[in-house]
Amino acid sequence: MALVQRALERRGIPTVSVSVARDVTAACLAPRAVFVPFMMGHHFGVPGNARLQRAIINAALRFIEEADGSGAIRDLPYTWNEARRGAYSGECAP
Amino acid sequence: MMESSSSSTQLRPGLWQTVNERYPGSMIRKSDVVPLAKLRKPLSESRVAFVSSSGVQPIGTLPFDVAHPIGDFSYRRVPSNSAVANLEIHQLKYPTIGARSDLNVIFPIERLRELVDDGVLGSLTSDFFSFVGYNMDPARFETRFAEELATAVEGEAPDVVLLAPA
Repeated sequence: MALVQRALERRGIPTVSVSVARDVTAACLAPRAVFVPFMMGHHFGVPGNARLQRAIINAALRFIEEADGSGAIRDLPYTWNEARRGAYSGECAP
Repeated sequence: MMESSSSSTQLRPGLWQTVNERYPGSMIRKSDVVPLAKLRKPLSESRVAFVSSSGVQPIGTLPFDVAHPIGDFSYRRVPSNSAVANLEIHQLKYPTIGARSDLNVIFPIERLRELVDDGVLGSLTSDFFSFVGYNMDPARFETRFAEELATAVEGEAPDVVLLAPA
């Protein structure tokens, strides 16, 4: 996927990935990515937690302007255990 | 250029090399960075595209060939106004237990529409894009497929592209 991302960025379109495999994303120098330490296939969190799903999209898109250089990866402040336990669904979700 | 420590190795040292010898698309290493493109307008005015390697596709489109020994080098268009009930997944390489009860955990099409409704994002491209992210020929993937898909995405005139590598 990072190869698709790189092709888009080379064409002048700003891109950002949501990664659950930090080492794979880092190795192929995706232009920008946010990392969530979630189970594969659950990049945007857990079923039914729309607030968390939106928060991850927003954090990824914000990183387009905040990344400090190509290849930058930002670790988002979530854990899989907390997400599975239903955290991050309230008003104070990060 | 990492923003934070890269010491969070997820697997024991050397294991990726073993995996990659047998499955050459598993971890692709690049040494050249792609210069960053500039965001030309605020997100609230931007048209957003979503690209996923999750194998999500509209019911009724040709199913991805998940059993092909080399990989399926095709993509599907997923209209951004699709009802979740009209989408299905053809992919073998990640757990779909969450996606089966809420597709948005891997393909957040409803959340993206809500963000447009709330004014956070300007609009969505008419089509999103999906393919199967696992293949055995990374050179073909990079030189042909990635460029074909990038051309299709570019044709939707997005200001920003969000990607989710499954």
